[in-house]
Amino acid sequence: MTLSDTFQLALRNLGQAKLRTSLTTLGVSIGIASLAGMVSLGLGLQDQFVGRFTKSGVFDAVTVMSVGDQPGVAMRMGRRGSFGRARGGGPRGAGPRGDGGAPAQPDQPPPPLDDEAMKTLAALDHVKEVYPNLRVPVQLKYGGLSEFAIAAGVPMSARGEGAFQTFAYGSFFGSDSDRACLLSLDLAKRIEAANPGALIGRELILAHGAAASPGAVGGGIDVGGGAQVQAVDSACRIAGIVERDPAPGPLGGGRVSGVMIPLGWAKEIGDRPLAGVPGAPAPKRTYPSLTVKVMHPQATQDVEDRIKAMGFTAFSVNDALEGAKRAFIILDIVLSLIGSIALAVSSLGIVNTMVMSILERTREIGIMKAIGGSDGDIRRIFLIEASAIGLLGGVAGVLLGWLVGRAINIGANIYIQGQGGTPGNLFALPLWLIGGAIGFSIVVSLIAGSYPAARAARLDPIQALRHD
Amino acid sequence: MTTVLETHDLKKHYRMGDTVVRALDGVSMTVEQGEFVGLLGTSGSGKSTLLNLIAGLDHATGGTLRMFGRDLAQMSRDQLTLHRRRNVGIIFQSFNLVPTMSALENVALAMMFAGVARPERERQSMALLESMGLGARARHRPRELSGGEQQRVAIARALSNTPDVLLADEPTGNLDSRTSRDIMELLKQLNQRDGKTIIMVTHDPLLAGAYAHRTFAMLDGVIVPEPSRS
Repeated sequence: MTLSDTFQLALRNLGQAKLRTSLTTLGVSIGIASLAGMVSLGLGLQDQFVGRFTKSGVFDAVTVMSVGDQPGVAMRMGRRGSFGRARGGGPRGAGPRGDGGAPAQPDQPPPPLDDEAMKTLAALDHVKEVYPNLRVPVQLKYGGLSEFAIAAGVPMSARGEGAFQTFAYGSFFGSDSDRACLLSLDLAKRIEAANPGALIGRELILAHGAAASPGAVGGGIDVGGGAQVQAVDSACRIAGIVERDPAPGPLGGGRVSGVMIPLGWAKEIGDRPLAGVPGAPAPKRTYPSLTVKVMHPQATQDVEDRIKAMGFTAFSVNDALEGAKRAFIILDIVLSLIGSIALAVSSLGIVNTMVMSILERTREIGIMKAIGGSDGDIRRIFLIEASAIGLLGGVAGVLLGWLVGRAINIGANIYIQGQGGTPGNLFALPLWLIGGAIGFSIVVSLIAGSYPAARAARLDPIQALRHD
Repeated sequence: MTTVLETHDLKKHYRMGDTVVRALDGVSMTVEQGEFVGLLGTSGSGKSTLLNLIAGLDHATGGTLRMFGRDLAQMSRDQLTLHRRRNVGIIFQSFNLVPTMSALENVALAMMFAGVARPERERQSMALLESMGLGARARHRPRELSGGEQQRVAIARALSNTPDVLLADEPTGNLDSRTSRDIMELLKQLNQRDGKTIIMVTHDPLLAGAYAHRTFAMLDGVIVPEPSRS
């Protein structure tokens, strides 16, 4: 018996029992709809979540530190090793900035995170750019307000990314050496609660450490070697106000307390305590940490691995997101298990339909066997009937699931918008899910049909022919 | 003459509850090519059991059953299927046509299992139906046909894979006497003109006597001696 004959015979048999076939198919389609809908919901939620993260621009970033540096350590070093306020006379540690190496190193000294390292890293495949993560302690002064803060150096390439996609007021820096700063909305409100937008274009004073000029009177702090550090006030124009702090370094490489300045300027400030100290050896600048931007998020892990192989410590948000990914996998599993319940019920429906059909057609099966139909022929006829139900049910189920998903999505978005949220697609239906759902439907139907088909194939022809 | 069928001490015992039913209890017989053989007996005599064994619908529990020199007892299920498909054509008392298929489709069904392509099997099936005088009824379903017509469709189906042997189990049992005669004449013609070997089960000694070259009378699973007609 040829396969096409088997197909035609099977479809013909299904057509003989239209009502039963369509009811069974409907059952399968409801099962597939619930399964596909649930998986689709899981994927949709994941897309929403991951999409937000991807937009934040941290998926394509690797943070590099010297071996042994832990993010927390690096941060403490950064905070401690910078400068003291001459005026406040506080006991903040003195010493040149940039010595952020780990206190205790393993046997092998780590490659220093200097400009050379930056060049090496920038030369790696898939790397878009490398910039140091500079955090400069400053004293903010505006009107009556004066508070200590850590200003973050922001590269020009961050324009339009992450937290800088939208501005509450104002806009991004004009250039890397711009004497401008961005504030977080929180900070802006602390300064000007009533109308933070009015701050745009105003001047803010950033007081930071600098080498004391020879002959400076008082207040200087001895940093050793006769060099002295003193505070210098720099004015900056408030260029923009962002709604939220940029995502802190993937591993919390320093909480940004609301002030962001161009990276170029941050470098100047960072250098200043050393530059110009007469007689001091030319400083070799090293950084507590670097950010390596990757061209495609997919290459992040690869780049991270290669950086680690070079002896650096590297982290990416991929690591931090592992937990979230696991959570989504669990969510997907739970959702698909719930969705599978309906499919399991409908697969019992297939078994029932097929067993009934075999009972009804027992005599016919006996006839087929008597005139030369083999066990395999009979089995194939029933398996094809089952898989045809699965195919039809799968296609109808995906359609049904999509329709219900759309309906729920529309309803949910009306609610979300009512709550002031941004509408999104809660259900994602990628091609692989469509194909997978239909394929799964066929497989489940085949499994459900295999017992009835085997039963039909094993029928004793003599008994079957006696059957009424 | 070629021996088509040869049985030796053929047994079919089966268990029914606590008792063992000896449906066949040592049957030895031989059928030559071109013969018209009658298996005569009352119900329960074992004649239908014997026919089912010859048809390869059932397995013997003892003895040998050779057709065309091959022992059916040694055959696998699939080999028995091939035996049914190629060597024998079966005609039943109750016709056993598939009710949802037309006469043509019923005849073609057997050829479909044999793997004959659709245009070829429809052509051959049509020719067979026409030779039975049923050309005009080819598209009708069994319930739209008379008993005689249905049995002719069944005979056409039995002939469709050109077997050497036709096995008929009470072929006129559900037919009136006139139609019965027509069907018996058709079988006789197939035997004489086409050389088909025919083994026919019947409970009617007159029918067996009128058409069969030889008759085996059966009782309680064995063949009882009876003067055979030549």
